[in-house]
Amino acid sequence: MNAIEIRDLTKNFGEKQAVCGLDMTVPVGAIYGFIGENGSGKSTTEKMICGLLPLSGGQIKLFGRDYTDGDVRAKVGVLIEAPGCFPNYSVWNNLMLQAANLSIENAEDEVRKVLKLVRMEGAASNKYKNCSLGMKQRIGIAMALLGNPKLLVLDEPINGLDADGMRIMREVLVGLAKDHGCTVLISSHILGELEKIATHYGIIRGGKMIKEMTAEELDAGCRTYVALQTKELSRAKAILSCRYSRVAEENEYLRVYDAEAPEAIVSLLYKNGILVSEIKTAKIGLEEYYIDLMNEKEGR
Amino acid sequence: MEAKFESQGFGKRLKSMLKVDFRRMFTTPLLYIMLGVSFVIPILVLVMTTMMGEPADPVAVTSAVTPHPGVDATAPMEAFENVWQIIGSVSGDAASGMAGGMSLTTMCNINLVYFLAAVLVCLFVSEDFRSGYAKNLFTVRAKKTDYVISKTLVGFVGGALMLLCFFLGGMIGGAVAGLPFETEATAGELVACIVSKVFLMAVFVAIFLAVSVAAKQKSWLSIIGSLGASMLLFSMIPMITPLDSNLVNIVMCFAGGALFSVGLGAVSNLILNKTSLV
Repeated sequence: MNAIEIRDLTKNFGEKQAVCGLDMTVPVGAIYGFIGENGSGKSTTEKMICGLLPLSGGQIKLFGRDYTDGDVRAKVGVLIEAPGCFPNYSVWNNLMLQAANLSIENAEDEVRKVLKLVRMEGAASNKYKNCSLGMKQRIGIAMALLGNPKLLVLDEPINGLDADGMRIMREVLVGLAKDHGCTVLISSHILGELEKIATHYGIIRGGKMIKEMTAEELDAGCRTYVALQTKELSRAKAILSCRYSRVAEENEYLRVYDAEAPEAIVSLLYKNGILVSEIKTAKIGLEEYYIDLMNEKEGR
Repeated sequence: MEAKFESQGFGKRLKSMLKVDFRRMFTTPLLYIMLGVSFVIPILVLVMTTMMGEPADPVAVTSAVTPHPGVDATAPMEAFENVWQIIGSVSGDAASGMAGGMSLTTMCNINLVYFLAAVLVCLFVSEDFRSGYAKNLFTVRAKKTDYVISKTLVGFVGGALMLLCFFLGGMIGGAVAGLPFETEATAGELVACIVSKVFLMAVFVAIFLAVSVAAKQKSWLSIIGSLGASMLLFSMIPMITPLDSNLVNIVMCFAGGALFSVGLGAVSNLILNKTSLV
């Protein structure tokens, strides 16, 4: 069974079509990385899944039921844009309000549990408006986790988090998926972070899903490249660019994406009087894969 | 294949939402500000008009309200002759007040509270959307009816409390100003008048709520819209709820309140279902 099943989803804002015929399948227990450029329709799709925007067309099913079903929606946690908190209320009171909305019986225990999960126990009495951006994001996650949701919809949840905050977030989300079977739909522009946790991916462009795949499929589909280091980076780049179609400089390394073998590169550079101090082969990550895909779609 | 989910009944859902809304209402400074304003206005109006003016006389009233050449523009301010004038007018006066235009006693009375209630309801609802609370709420609650019912009841209670504060302020202000408490209306009729006004609040709250959910986070738009939408009804309040009200007035206001709440509640529900909630 799928946690989210979307067929032919459409959303129009006047003349503008924000989402056009989008299909999406998110299996139960998956951490689904939802990727796309700004304005590609990610947030609009997420808002429709959460019932915050009426559909112009198509169908959304959550756990096999229509997305408007009240019982299934009570098990959806959401963090879209910013956490919905009253600025003059304390963190604790904001969470207690949401717990009351969810009719949670042991509300205090539940609020304590989620605050502990996001490592915010010490800030419970702080007024929400006095919290830092990172703290607010964590409060938003805590709020989304109330009521043991079966589906979490998170829009850019790691924005504004420090390194430790990101690590905590990773641990929490992976733990929820693994230990509680919670499905997570997460959109983020920080693809490196997303790659560490996602089990499935969906890439959206211009309101259409252009690729859906598992982490394994991404891994298999990712090309290898040769990364090398030399003292004469610019000259080496110029020489290699004559032979290979894509050579890029990154973090003091020269990346050759369409090299057949590292030996050929070393040999070519040696013939031109350049010594290679370090060479390795690696696979492109999600970010490069995404950029490649976007370039391909744009015909670049 | 479908997953199994715990089902929540309407009663349980509404109870939890009412709990949240009442808790929010009674912890927001806005309510106490509005209650304070409702309490202070009649005291100020009664004391100041008594200090500065004289008992109303037709020529002075005309010149004070609509000055024109040939009439003394410095005529004394129209004053209240009786404490109950700030609560309402008797049936005949209400009708003639409608026909004869606006005066201080017809403008500055308990009916002002219906306008103040618009500010309370509109700011309360717009805060839901501005803070993002509505987003959290509507994600986990697909049924918008719960929200509409809860907000109508909370707004009604807030408005009713404001009416009672105004009434209390009127009594205190009248005593301080030394105005007479005698009236043609009996105690029963006065109680019926207040009860009618309280039930009538439901009509206004339903209007304010419908405008507020349409305006969402734009509080200024919802306040202006609410005042505009209720303007026509406002002039009818003295006739529907005169000082010498009886059971008919109570039933009429109750029925009107119920009808508007259900009818405009359905409109609010439709707006919430058909428009963006973020």
